[in-house]
Amino acid sequence: MNTGLNIEVLEYFNKVTEDPGQEARLWKEETGGKVIGFLLTDVPEELIHAAGFFPFGISGGKRRMSLADAHLQIWTCSYVRSNLAMALGGELDFLDGLVIPQRCDETRMVMGIWKHQKPLSFMDNFRPPRQVERPSAKNYYLGELRRFKKKLEEFRGSEITDEELKQSIRLYNSNRTLLEKLFDLHRQDPSLLSSRELYNIIMASMIISRKKLNRLLNRLLDTLNPKLPEETDCRVKIFISGTFLEPLEIADYIEESGGTIVGDDLKSGSRYFNGNVPEEGDFLEGFAERQMQKMPSASFDTSTNPRRHFLVNAVKEKNADGVLLLHLKYCEPENFDYYDTKQALKKAGIPVQKIDTEFGETSLGQLRTRVQAFMEMLGGVELI
Amino acid sequence: MSEKKTFKTAALMKELMKKYYEDGLSARKSGIPVAWVTAVSPVEIVYAAGLFPYYPENFGAIAAARKIADKLSVVAESKGYAHDLCAYARCGIGDAYASEHPVGEIIKPDLLLCCNTQCGSLPKWFEVAGRFYKAPYFLLDAPQIGAEPENLVTNYYLEQLKELISFLEEVTGKPFDYDRFGEVLYYSNEACRLWNEVLDTAAQKPAPFGFFDACFHMFPIVTMRGTKEAVVYYQALKDEVEERIIKENYAVPNERYKIYFDHIPLWPKLRWFSDLFASHGALMAVSLYTHSWAYFFDRNRPLESLAEQYTQEFVNRFFDYRIELKLRLMRKYNVDGFVLFSNRSCKPNAIGLYDKRNIISSMAGIPGVVFEADMSDLRFFSEEQVLAKLEPFFEQLESRGKK
Ligand code: SF4
Ligand code: SF4
Repeated sequence: MNTGLNIEVLEYFNKVTEDPGQEARLWKEETGGKVIGFLLTDVPEELIHAAGFFPFGISGGKRRMSLADAHLQIWTCSYVRSNLAMALGGELDFLDGLVIPQRCDETRMVMGIWKHQKPLSFMDNFRPPRQVERPSAKNYYLGELRRFKKKLEEFRGSEITDEELKQSIRLYNSNRTLLEKLFDLHRQDPSLLSSRELYNIIMASMIISRKKLNRLLNRLLDTLNPKLPEETDCRVKIFISGTFLEPLEIADYIEESGGTIVGDDLKSGSRYFNGNVPEEGDFLEGFAERQMQKMPSASFDTSTNPRRHFLVNAVKEKNADGVLLLHLKYCEPENFDYYDTKQALKKAGIPVQKIDTEFGETSLGQLRTRVQAFMEMLGGVELI
Repeated sequence: MSEKKTFKTAALMKELMKKYYEDGLSARKSGIPVAWVTAVSPVEIVYAAGLFPYYPENFGAIAAARKIADKLSVVAESKGYAHDLCAYARCGIGDAYASEHPVGEIIKPDLLLCCNTQCGSLPKWFEVAGRFYKAPYFLLDAPQIGAEPENLVTNYYLEQLKELISFLEEVTGKPFDYDRFGEVLYYSNEACRLWNEVLDTAAQKPAPFGFFDACFHMFPIVTMRGTKEAVVYYQALKDEVEERIIKENYAVPNERYKIYFDHIPLWPKLRWFSDLFASHGALMAVSLYTHSWAYFFDRNRPLESLAEQYTQEFVNRFFDYRIELKLRLMRKYNVDGFVLFSNRSCKPNAIGLYDKRNIISSMAGIPGVVFEADMSDLRFFSEEQVLAKLEPFFEQLESRGKK
């Protein structure tokens, strides 16, 4: 049941995502500190945080996409297009820095344009390895982390101490653990927290002060008491795979057809908070470990746990009834995975449906129809 | 427009290509594993290991030149591969599933070796192919760099070259032959040297050789770099180009302008473009693309040298340094204008071209234009639209020429 207390917290999170820059701007005014934006995901944010900066996850916009037209062809991915459009439209003027992790051709190439159009005092192409199984990958990643750390230190004018790093890792681990818990509770009893509320919180967690986030998540978790399994209503369980849950309305369409989201491998989802960094030992080693063991994605696939097998297993583990592949149009890495993923799921007897999505003005009606059709096939019921 | 005589070496090229494919097809039978490789990857190692290196990108280019890229692509699209993926990949995947093979079948891999300096499409395509053909896949990962070489990246690549050698030793069951490797590097150096000497003749005015000729003659430098045949070929080509200079047989008979072109040509429209530019007295003289194969390996420190050269290729550089490289070539060849091809197949090279046009124009003080199409797939080509972009460019050249 929703109590007054958790409604207040949920509304707070809604306010945060309605105007994504607001928390960062306030923080900046209050502290005089610097805000560093980053594209999702696979950025060792703890380092940014430990240096005293405000890490701000840039999650794409919806308005005025045409601002990007003079710089990016319309057939480039709309996540990157919309981010650049936001920057050009002045929506990200509070940023002092930008980190773009290289995961695909878009993220490899857009920095140059951004630099010329909206130069910031700190700009970095962060380059995680794109093979994660051979020993060379880890050695290289450690070097890349050292480089990145040093650049942050130069920007702030002093070294990041081990103590600072430890504190940040602790805070981030705590946030990640709380988000996992929240997801667990949602899975256990979907009536506690809707799928949309859950993903809204995940989005908010990237753009809010991480200390505040910790307090809010704790408060929320305290008030959520799941019903006993036999009392929860029966819903169709959906696993979503892709890059972004965009637009968030997709979660509504799943729920209004009697479904709930039980797992994902999204950048704007589990990939963000999946896995912790050890709080003892060599911290950079810890980051490397986390990265190497993260769930596979189109940009970091492995042969030992290839994405399609990972998905089949995840579906079984989460007891999901079907998989919705959210394909962000023009996302090459995702598109290359699609056919074999679909075949692997089908072979395992798991119903699967691909839906094309896009940042910007999407036709919600069409999206809704497609989600509903899949839900109906899975035996969902219309709730309204 | 006067029809210029085709190169004598064209016949030699046909023979080379034919032999290359025959060797590829019969390799497996004679116990030689076929390794799929990418254009900008250290093929020297593959040759030294005694494997047959096969370039599926080249298969894509041939399908494109024969104007059937769309047909193969449609097969891939029917499986859900989008038409906005790189057309080489669409052709390769399409061919895997196709029942008809109008340009011959792609040669199946026993293993796949991909270097991702060029783009993110190749590793994804090779992953798909690895699954389809059930062959092991090895990724040589090259993080992108700026103007300065980075030890971090070179060392990472070097470490991977060693991993690659162990991987190949396992596949072939033979120890890696470093003597043979030295020999391969020698041939590679020679072929690169000759190739670039040929390319450089495009700087003469009028020039005996231009970008479109280079596109025709680049097959051996891409695929057979490291073999003696490639060296023999480019020696013959160089001799012929020199002969043309003496005989005053020029690429564009009344050459008035030189143009820089970025990047890959429109394969099915090579002739159309070359005639169009020639009719304006414009020689497409130079492109970073054809200049990609300009290696010089130090045979005393072969692996280190390989790691340096392959990670420092232009395709692995950040935005600003790529501009600088383009400007260098423009100056060296003293071009009058530049044409940038926003190739929807090749995102890494197309992304940023709109901005680059403005930056380069103001830095070099010469006119430039960006046009849209696909290097392979004619469904994305509109003659009117391309002409609408190019005509004003030609006018700009004219009016500047008069000054
Ligand atoms: S959504 Fe796909 S194309 Fe876009 S930035 Fe992410 S990986 Fe790259
Ligand atoms: S054309 Fe471009 S995208 Fe395609 S394989 Fe070549 S470099 Fe990669």
